[in-house]
Amino acid sequence: MDRIKDIPSAGRNKVRRGKRWVSRDYTLFAAACMGLAFLLVFAYVPMAGIIIAFKDDSLYFNIFDVIKYGGFVGFANFAEFFRDQKFWDVMANTLGLNLLMLLINFPAPIIFALLLNEILHSGYKKAVQTLSIFPHFISWVVFGGIVIALADMTTGIFNPVMYFFGIGSRDDPVNLLTAKYFWPLIITISMIKGVGWGSVIYLAAITNTSPELYEAAQLDGADRFKRALYITLPSIAPTVTVFLLLNISGLLSNNFEQFYVLQNPANTSRSEVLATYIYQTGMIERKYAYTTAMGFFESTIGIILMLSANAVSKKIANRGLFG
Amino acid sequence: MAKYITSRRPKKLRGMKAFDYVNYIFLALCVLIMIYPFVFVLAGSFSDGNDYMGGGVWLVPRVWTLANYQVIVSDNMLWIAYKNTIIRTAAGSLLSLSFTSLVAYAMSRRELKFRRFFQAANLFTMFFGGGLIPYFVLINFLGLFDTFWVYIIPALYSVYNMIILSGGYSALSEELHDSAVIDGAGELRIWISIYMPLSKAVHATVLLWLMVGNWNAYYSTMIYTRGGENVILLQYYLMGVINKASYTPSVGGEILEKVTSKTVSYAAIIVAILPVLFVYPFLSKYFTKGVTVGSLKG
Repeated sequence: MDRIKDIPSAGRNKVRRGKRWVSRDYTLFAAACMGLAFLLVFAYVPMAGIIIAFKDDSLYFNIFDVIKYGGFVGFANFAEFFRDQKFWDVMANTLGLNLLMLLINFPAPIIFALLLNEILHSGYKKAVQTLSIFPHFISWVVFGGIVIALADMTTGIFNPVMYFFGIGSRDDPVNLLTAKYFWPLIITISMIKGVGWGSVIYLAAITNTSPELYEAAQLDGADRFKRALYITLPSIAPTVTVFLLLNISGLLSNNFEQFYVLQNPANTSRSEVLATYIYQTGMIERKYAYTTAMGFFESTIGIILMLSANAVSKKIANRGLFG
Repeated sequence: MAKYITSRRPKKLRGMKAFDYVNYIFLALCVLIMIYPFVFVLAGSFSDGNDYMGGGVWLVPRVWTLANYQVIVSDNMLWIAYKNTIIRTAAGSLLSLSFTSLVAYAMSRRELKFRRFFQAANLFTMFFGGGLIPYFVLINFLGLFDTFWVYIIPALYSVYNMIILSGGYSALSEELHDSAVIDGAGELRIWISIYMPLSKAVHATVLLWLMVGNWNAYYSTMIYTRGGENVILLQYYLMGVINKASYTPSVGGEILEKVTSKTVSYAAIIVAILPVLFVYPFLSKYFTKGVTVGSLKG
């Protein structure tokens, strides 16, 4: 994914066939067209559906009627959510949490990979890696269910552990699923579930680094810390850049299920993010135009963030998502 | 001289420093925190429900019982959800892999006409979309709402997997392709009989990702179906058990007296992750292989 745009391709075709199409060209073209046809239906048609965002949906309950008969209202739907205090609360949660996660959860796998790389026993290393990846493959429904179990105020283990460290009192157990603790909770469990898997790609990049570099550095008297800082880190920098850019472009996005399973009325003030709010307004309250407008806003900001982060990265590091 | 240079990964251990001890212990603690939650739930699932409510069951049950499992497996809906999930996981993953790898093969060929255009059209969809409502309208318009096909058809193709798979194909030597062409093989033939067998690792990785994704899917059931018997999946069923204790056991009251909705939901969680637990040790190397193959090119 280093250069996303440059879908890697094999060496140049030796036989230049010019502009004429031969039968194998038709085969390849047809296959690529099948992929495109799929995207046309399942990606580009919904994009055309953004038109709903500019329509008046107040008169129709059926969404097809909104598309067919609804009058154009310009940016009125956008203005509606811009004026809505609830929307800004949701935005504050989304941006606040995602920025915090960028600060904490983004570097964590890098550090984890660096530490894992320093392990001398390959068996131990493999065991740590295999076990740490496991939570990634468990669904958020299950993982959220387990978190709720661990946090349970009578049967869970979170409170007893806190007592053990002398925090809190038995008469007043902490309910982790309330608004006050939601952010630390979600950051911690995202870390537990994601850090192992996140480190896989960095560890692979580290393994690809030429051993001669390390040997040369050692001859020059660089200790382990210096080698990590001056050889390992620069060698994974391209991978880090790509993931940083992807993270920045996703500043308004969240994993819906992760939030949905842990949401309850006692924490929505801190746990409602754009992903869940869009579900709430679209599927539950059935405000189609309002929701489509919000989705469009999210997508647009996402692509603007991606392009500008990419431009900055190209300027500073001479390296971007697209080469 | 050379033998005094310590290689990066020494075969023999060369004496651990303080940092090593701290590092080993720290990583062990990390793994402990990652794995312990599953142990906690496992202990709860084998616990007598009433005893469990007293708290303090953290590692092993105080009062052992199989009642939680007896209750959950006696719910017919669990098996319906299990069956549907297995069908989705098997059929959905295989179909998606076949279709996506076919497109990936074409996209990996440099001589593909209009390749730049195809690449751009694919990539754009990774960063921009219509959003929930337009997609929901589309699903309804296509008549997929509340049908099993909603799990299969919209998931047939994934741009991300296409990139990973075509990365795998491009890693193969171009001479292979040339010699096959000279032997008179068509492109489909080359893809099926040469490229596919040689890219087993990448295929296995993407297939595993797809299978895990299908097994864990919850959102699609919630949004695009009514959750009836024809479409209910394991995760959706599980959500009901965890949140609303919505299960209908068909066992006697004697067993029911030994359980609570909490301990039953733990048993349901274990039943749901059992297949993942079972295949993970054997396949874990494949889970990571594709990342290395597809992502570190260029």
